[in-house]
Amino acid sequence: MSSQASDSRPGDRSGSPPVAISVRNVTQRFGESGSAQDVLALDDVSLEVRRGEFLCLLGPSGCGKSTLLNIVGGLIKPSSGAVSVNGKPVNGVPMPKDIAFVFQESTLFPWYTILENFRIALKFQNVPKAEWDGRAMAALEAVGMAQFAQHYPTQLSVGMRQRVNMARGICVSTDILLMDEPFAALDEQSRMVLGEDLSILLARTGKTIVFVTHSLAEAVFLSDRIVVMTARPGRIKTVVDVNEPHPRSPDFMLEPRFGELRNDLYAMLRDEIRLAMAAQREQAGAAPR
Amino acid sequence: MKRTALTARLIQLAFIAILMAAWHFSTASGSISKLFLPPPSAVWDAFSRLVVTGQFWSAVRVTLVTTAQAYLIALVVGAGVGYLVSRSRFLTDVFEPVIAGLFTIPITLFFPMFILFFGIGTGSKIAYGASYAFFPIALTTIAAFNSVEPHFLRAARSMGASRREIFRHVLVPRTLPVLIGGMRIAFVICFASVLGGETLSSIAGVGRNIALSAELLDTARMYAWIVFVVVTAVSLNFIATSIEQNAAAKGNVS
Amino acid sequence: MSAPVRSARSYAALVRWTRVGFVLAILVLWEIYGRWFADPVFVQPPSEVAVAWATKILPDERIMSALGLSVFEIAVAYVLAVVVGLAIGLAVGSTALGRRGFFPMILLLYAIPQVALISLFVLLFGLGPASKIAFGFSHGVFPVIMSVVSGMADAPTLYIRGARSMGASRYQVIRHVIFPYMVPSFFVGLRLAMTLTLLGVILAELYVSTAGIGYFTRVFAENFNPAPLFALIGSLAAIALIFNECVRMAERRLSRGREALRR
Repeated sequence: MSSQASDSRPGDRSGSPPVAISVRNVTQRFGESGSAQDVLALDDVSLEVRRGEFLCLLGPSGCGKSTLLNIVGGLIKPSSGAVSVNGKPVNGVPMPKDIAFVFQESTLFPWYTILENFRIALKFQNVPKAEWDGRAMAALEAVGMAQFAQHYPTQLSVGMRQRVNMARGICVSTDILLMDEPFAALDEQSRMVLGEDLSILLARTGKTIVFVTHSLAEAVFLSDRIVVMTARPGRIKTVVDVNEPHPRSPDFMLEPRFGELRNDLYAMLRDEIRLAMAAQREQAGAAPR
Repeated sequence: MKRTALTARLIQLAFIAILMAAWHFSTASGSISKLFLPPPSAVWDAFSRLVVTGQFWSAVRVTLVTTAQAYLIALVVGAGVGYLVSRSRFLTDVFEPVIAGLFTIPITLFFPMFILFFGIGTGSKIAYGASYAFFPIALTTIAAFNSVEPHFLRAARSMGASRREIFRHVLVPRTLPVLIGGMRIAFVICFASVLGGETLSSIAGVGRNIALSAELLDTARMYAWIVFVVVTAVSLNFIATSIEQNAAAKGNVS
Repeated sequence: MSAPVRSARSYAALVRWTRVGFVLAILVLWEIYGRWFADPVFVQPPSEVAVAWATKILPDERIMSALGLSVFEIAVAYVLAVVVGLAIGLAVGSTALGRRGFFPMILLLYAIPQVALISLFVLLFGLGPASKIAFGFSHGVFPVIMSVVSGMADAPTLYIRGARSMGASRYQVIRHVIFPYMVPSFFVGLRLAMTLTLLGVILAELYVSTAGIGYFTRVFAENFNPAPLFALIGSLAAIALIFNECVRMAERRLSRGREALRR
């Protein structure tokens, strides 16, 4: 379901294959088939993520967008289908050299200082010891948190923690970043500011970013392309292009184009959202409407 | 909240002082049989005699060494079993209720068996103490490792951490506070069971001395030992709770 | 080696059967070891233990009456511990004076390893059931007091203030706001109290080796008679399990409808 237009972006890594992530006919089942817990989370999903683009996975709760992200990142083995990242097949094994994750919960370890968190992340990823502090401080400076290097995560506010979380995701210099609703726990103001920072980061480094969200405005503001998913079982309903260069300024949100795009998305999603809510009600035991 | 902790401490100390005063005055009037409750002076004399003749240290040494050995065994076996069981949801579901259920039976019941197997020397007390302390350690270990938030493990995995790295940098730091709490409880249980075993049947140690002095109706000596044990236990408890309160005040992990 | 997740019911059955299989395996190993490898003076196989139970324990009037006496002591000590513990707990937990003044004293007493006092108890209360009941009581009363006081402290001040603002008297606040919060914690304390009462009574029984259970365990152990010793211990263990199960059943019966308070 991918459109053909290929843009060249500043900071694009010319010479690398244009398709960073390829997802082909991925189906995901949870629970044993036929049992009470059999769940079809994803149904025959195919997708291509171009290098250097910001791609959003947008859909109602339970549509499988996080599952898809985890499959792409090698945290879950797909029931069927094939995924490849940077040309290499991915099958339930994480690829820390190619992919960095930023999760919704702050996964900074509360028993280490910020700097120690970075060091341990780099150690996990087998980066040579000599580079640790340099990369850590550079990443922290990029998000403006360098002076908190010796603090513990619990001493920071939620917004600051997510900022550091993001910095940890970029300090390894992978070319792909997978983000699972990273701003969901933040207040709106922090979300807006961090969104802007993310856009600047994209423009500067040319990373490929796959971003899961259920916020329409966030999707429009950040993405080059938005993949709209259906309610469970998750399929790709449509892919929407957003033609606006990065880095994006807040003025983009004032353009009539922005509002139209958002309304279009809502129109597409409204039925899916209602379906998802009905499914949730059924699960909780209430009588279906 | 440090002020309430302080007032609690003061009340406890005042309570002890009042008890001591009551002891002194009730025995001074001569209305209580010297056998049941000897005056504090007699108890103090008995205690000094114990120290001077060296009986005190030899008995304390036996009890401490026995407790240490029993505790070490319980730690190694309990933590080992607990960790292995916690590795799988299935194993946890099968065995945790078994261990927890067994623990509701007083292990004291099996003490005669230990006497049968190991005789009345320290061996039976080591085995008995280790068996008793095994349970809280195993249960705490299972609970601690099972309570590590999955998102920490997922993050470490996503960063390419090896299993050993996950153990060292995620599991251990996350579980340590809970484990230490369990270890403290287990130590108290281990010490109490060794003491109990010595009281029931042994040839040496503090418990043996308490039972022996009771048998010989040398109540002054019995009280001397009891007061020593109580004072030690209460002091250690004071220290332990103070440390805990300090750690909590510093706003530890999470 | 992790079993694939089937429906919830068949998983629970798998867990149960594995547990049963594990216990059976232990029994079988014990039987084999006891019958063919072990020194009969130390270890006897479960079949012999069962035989000993049928021939030496069950028909022996003295042993059965000793067991019966122990059951009596446990029951009395437990009821006393619960009633007195509840009363003290309510008294201490309902006033600030009690919480700040008396509770620290109770905590202090709780820190004493009571096993050091067994000789004292027997000296004071004699060799008969009184010392066993007293020792069991003194073990079981503390968890009841603790759980009642901590349960009362659980009641959110929000509701207390709300009730006071509507004009509730102190008694009414305790009865209608604090009491429901105390109950779940109280039941947890009841379970722990049973475990500790069992411990206290059994410890005392074993200590007095001139009569009762302590006498028979001593005789069997001294004469290297493992089969009846195991059988006797097994009977006591069964008694302990039954008592614990009774407490759990009582808790289940009495706490239906209390789930509304699950915070």
